[in-house]
This record gives sequence, C-alpha cells and structure tokens, in this order.
Amino acid sequence: MKLNRHFLFVIIIASAFFSFSVKADDLVVSIVEPYVDFRTGPASEYPIFHVAEQGESITILKKKTGWYKAITNKGQEGWVSAEQLGKTLKPNGEQLYVPTGSFEDYTNRTFEFSAFGGILESVTAMSVATAWNVTGNLVVEGTYTQALGDFSENTLWSIRLQHHTFPEWKVSPYLTIGAGGINTRPRSNLVQSGDEVRNSDFYEVGAGLRYYFARNMVIKFEYRNIIALTDRDDQERIEEFKLGFSVFF
Amino acid sequence: MKFSKNVVLSAVIILSIALFNGHVFAQTSSVKSAARMMQENTQQPPALIDPNIERREINESDIDTEDLEIGIFGGFISIEDFESSEVVGVSLAYHINENLFLEARYAKATAGQTSFEKLSGGAPFLTEEERDYTYYNLSLGYNINGETFFTDNLVFNSDVYFTFGAGSTEFGGDERFTISAGAGYRLLFTDFWALKVDVRDHVFTSDIIGIEKDVHNFAITLSTTFFF
Repeated sequence: MKLNRHFLFVIIIASAFFSFSVKADDLVVSIVEPYVDFRTGPASEYPIFHVAEQGESITILKKKTGWYKAITNKGQEGWVSAEQLGKTLKPNGEQLYVPTGSFEDYTNRTFEFSAFGGILESVTAMSVATAWNVTGNLVVEGTYTQALGDFSENTLWSIRLQHHTFPEWKVSPYLTIGAGGINTRPRSNLVQSGDEVRNSDFYEVGAGLRYYFARNMVIKFEYRNIIALTDRDDQERIEEFKLGFSVFF
Repeated sequence: MKFSKNVVLSAVIILSIALFNGHVFAQTSSVKSAARMMQENTQQPPALIDPNIERREINESDIDTEDLEIGIFGGFISIEDFESSEVVGVSLAYHINENLFLEARYAKATAGQTSFEKLSGGAPFLTEEERDYTYYNLSLGYNINGETFFTDNLVFNSDVYFTFGAGSTEFGGDERFTISAGAGYRLLFTDFWALKVDVRDHVFTSDIIGIEKDVHNFAITLSTTFFF
C-alpha cells in the first residue's frame, strides 16, 4: 500500500513535468536523409562526435550563423549544419526552412547593413548605411559618412531611394537619389585663421553596382554626386567614390 | 501524519489536473471548432481520418539566434608621446558566418603628459579636455576556430581571430581617420558567454607635437562578451 502510494506520487509528478516539457517552445524535426552529423562546435572545422540516423527525431535548441544546436532523444547535444538540417521534416511533414544566406535569401531580404571606405573629394571617407527593402526594386536607405581631411572634418547624412532595375542579376546596377545634410568643421589649428563650422543641406544622385559575393555577403561599388546648397553664391559640387560590403537579414 | 500525506497527495493531484486541463480544454475546444467548421462547410466531404491531434505551430523563426555579440572591455593603451593609460570601451559584433564577423568598438582613455611637459615643467601642450582620447572603429574579423584543452575533460571551444578596420580617433581637439589592425583570442565558456584577449594597433596621422607623423597606439584589452 505504501509502495503503491509512492508509485502514484511519482507518476503524478512525472506527468506534471511531462506536460511542462511539452509546453516548452522547441522545434522537433525528424531525419529523412540517411544521417545527420553532430559536431562539437558551430563550424565545419569542429570534429563530428555523433551521427543521428534516419527516422530519429532531434530537437533544435538554437542557431549560431549557419549552425544549429540540436539534442537527440538520448541527450546527445551538438551542432548541425544548416544544409543538413534543411533536409529534415517538421512535425507537420513540411520540410524545415533554414536560411543559408543564398542569393535567393538575399533577394528576399528585409534589412541590409553596409560599410564603405572611399574617397570624398580626395579625402578618405568612411560610411555606414542601413537599408530597408520595400519591394524587390525599391530600397530606402539611410547613410552616415565621416570624411576626416587635413583641413576639415566632414560628416554627411542622407536619406535616399535606390532603384534596382534588375534585382535578379547577381551583378546588378542601381540608381540612387536622395537628400541630406553636411557638416564641415575646420581643423583646430585652422580655427584661428577665420574658418568656422558650416552646415549645409544637399541633394545627391548616384549609381552603384552590387555583387552577391559569398554567403550572407554582398560587395558594392558606388558613385555619388552631391550638390550642397551653401550660403555662398556658388553651389558646391562634391563627388564620392566608395567600395564596401553588406550583410543582410 | 497520514492525514497530512493525504493532503499533500491530493494537492499534487489537483495541481497536475490543473496542468493537464489546459491541454484537455484546448483539445476539446479545437475539436468543437473543427466540428463547427465541418457543419458550416458542408460542400466538402468530411475527412476519412481525423486524428484530432492538437499540433502546436512552431516556426523556424522561433529558433533562438545568437549571431550578435555584445561586450565590454578594459585594458591599457599606449598613446604615442603621451604615456600609457587605462582604456575602457564597449563592442558589438555581428557574426556573418562561422569565420567572418563585423565588429564595432568604442573606447575612452585619458592621455598623460609628454616627457617634454614633465621635464621642462613648462606650459602643457594640451588642455585637460583635449587629453580625452576617444576612438571608434568598424572592423572585419576572421575567426580561426578551434578548441582549448585545459585538461583531458575540461575542453572549451575557442578561436584566434584577426581584425582589420577603420574608424576615427578624437584627441587633442581633432578627429583623425584611424586604421586599426589586431589579433585576439576568444574563449567560449558557454555558447553565449566568452572571454577575449585582444591586441590592436591604431594608426593615424597627428601633428599634435608640431611635426606631422604617423602615430601607433597599441591597446591590449580583456573583454567579456555575450551572444544574443
């Protein structure tokens, strides 16, 4: 009788825990290919220490770049590549979708972050940009550029629209149009000579070329022509060439 | 004694029933709604096999992604002509793939005095405010993945990485374009927590002490980072 009661108690507790574990938000997939390799770390350099076989179910715990941490029913924990995981099936029988940073994933991107190095009127310039892919063809982008020259420190920001005419091409040209502001501050040793901080608005037009280079990475080359609306009699024309790369999400 | 045991047991039973109930109710309600839908949708023939299994919808997007690495670091920076100082900063990295990552760093230090200022006892080159040394850089890094074996059983994933980047340094009242390059070692205690030792050179052109020259400012730092 005493043993029975304990047994009952254990069963109730276990079932309560079981209902907890079911509630946890883990994705369980079943293996349909002959096997799936488990590595000790999230990179192809790490050794394979376990192989999960066809028909086994594995639980996906987390993702790091193109690698997924998974656990087998027997408790073996390791890292599985996106390629191998992409061939497994979800409980509803659908194939699991895993982004691999392919060109197709790039064309379906929502956000893009870019970093550039370039020349702005013979001064070294660095830029960062965040873009939002509205349609496949239209992209809205915000940019920030810093150009530190021998005589002045310039910062530029702009909001612009990109038009990708052939987004399905791996090497694809695009046109840009935008508006922004430029801030020019003379070097401290030139302040005495009468130069002062200047702020101007500007319009820009430009063209660029992007190339899907590798997984998750795109290389870009860009030219833009800036017309600064200065307080002086002449409008100032500034040219910039830059080379950079983007990552996308 | 026996009574209290019974109380505990019945409490546990009630608790487990309560835990189960959610599922049971969800299941019955889904069955009811399915039945209702079937009644409304009379054109379609009813399914021959209706397993009545409640499937929870878990998507690929629910998978926890740990591609971003945020960290704080501290160490020493040797500012050419202006002694060595403590430096503290923050970093944010995005891991593009298993080898490449993009890292932004922002750090602050306070420069000391040149030997001339100390020895001559004359007027200082820079004001206190101009001695604030702040820099940022954006680097592309390359990981060489590996493992570190402390003992046979104590093994951690780790990597040696190289970085190359550009940014700016604000010092002596001016902001200068700065190239930075370095190497480091990252020890991952868990999947999401790492310790890094990093050595980096920061090169820029400076005319603070009169003549224009390229200055090399080496920094050695220790960071703790978290992946999220």
